[in-house]
Amino acid sequence: MTEHIHIDFPHKQAAHCESGVAANLLSNQGIALSEATAFGIGGGLFFAYLPFIRLNHLPMVTYRGAAGSLLKHISKIPGFTLACQTFSKPEQAMEALDKKLADSIPVGLQTGVFWLPYFPKALRFHFNAHNLVVYGKQGNDYLISDPVFPGPVKCPAEDLAKARFAAGALAPKGKMYHFSQVDEGYDQRRAIIKGIDMVSKMMTGSPFPLIGVKGMRFLAGRLCAWPRRLGAEKADLHLGNVVRMQEEIGTGGGGFRFMYAAFLQESGSQLQDAQLSTCATRLIEAGDQWRVFAAMAARICKKREKSGDSYACAAEHIRHCADIEEQVFISLREWVRQVS
Amino acid sequence: MGLDNLEHELLEAICSTCNLQDVDIASIQADAPLIGPDSALGIDSLDALEIVVMVQKEYGVRIESENSSRIVLETVATLAAHIRTHSPQLTPQ
Repeated sequence: MTEHIHIDFPHKQAAHCESGVAANLLSNQGIALSEATAFGIGGGLFFAYLPFIRLNHLPMVTYRGAAGSLLKHISKIPGFTLACQTFSKPEQAMEALDKKLADSIPVGLQTGVFWLPYFPKALRFHFNAHNLVVYGKQGNDYLISDPVFPGPVKCPAEDLAKARFAAGALAPKGKMYHFSQVDEGYDQRRAIIKGIDMVSKMMTGSPFPLIGVKGMRFLAGRLCAWPRRLGAEKADLHLGNVVRMQEEIGTGGGGFRFMYAAFLQESGSQLQDAQLSTCATRLIEAGDQWRVFAAMAARICKKREKSGDSYACAAEHIRHCADIEEQVFISLREWVRQVS
Repeated sequence: MGLDNLEHELLEAICSTCNLQDVDIASIQADAPLIGPDSALGIDSLDALEIVVMVQKEYGVRIESENSSRIVLETVATLAAHIRTHSPQLTPQ
């Protein structure tokens, strides 16, 4: 019977769902891991400007790795095994979920935000890669630790089934996962080095001009030309999208930089390595620059420019971010070479 | 819930930053939603960015992640409380 199940699960609010779920699931299995460290060892930071991928007719800009990549990278760390299933039918998927709960296993789910009734209506949008943890069931309601909420929430079974089988881009197909093996003695130092190596290479060593710091400079070049090429109205929509797409309220591209900086700070303390702390400070500067860019972009979009605000100036801020991040990640690549 | 001095000052700064005109600050409750569809000021996520930058510049207080932005910018009372806790220029009331 799965009607009244309550598994002890440490709910902790997080800035982003995937890193939050990873940290909470691992913490539940005895690995005290902050969200920032989960983000770092999962190689969560990234940048790409992908104009050939359109969302709402606007080019895609991403400040973090693809949805699902963080958990995938963490699952490859020696000592961790992530058991993952997808389903073709909602009935099978919900039955499998009930069985895991009956076995006292909290499980992560990939869901579509639009179908989760506990989200305020204004925040329900069609994003199908939202992660949460189900840790129990009371009658027809599932008990959910959704990391973007301050406390646990409940969701009726029918709504959860809809959210697990939301259609469209990144359709979850009932995806359900849990860590089937967690070695408490895993080599965290090695995981930190590998996570930093992965992100540093991607940010500074990609041959593709749309990825990493090259992608930032490419975006800056395009952004300068938007008013001329697209006209004022469309240019403003594109500019707003650069700021708004990934981070909804108040962080403006800087949020992931701040989180990665927190990971570097924590790792610097743990490994007693001052170079990581220095890189963290520089990355906070990059985050601040992203934020200044975003505030300027917001003023331009809202038609309340201050003196000096312009597309060209906004592009300069992005180039400055690229310069700082290039220095940080080249320095981290050297650090990886030294300590490996 | 009425406004204290800092909350009043913050609302003035927000109106100035976001170029909001004809706002009767005295009629705004300290615990009313600051951002989103229920905001009396009509502030959206792009405005929130400017508020975050203004707070950092004027009060020396950083609002770091999306998560804390959501919590801190929930109402003018939560924003004022965050500034009181973290500002080197202000002592907690």
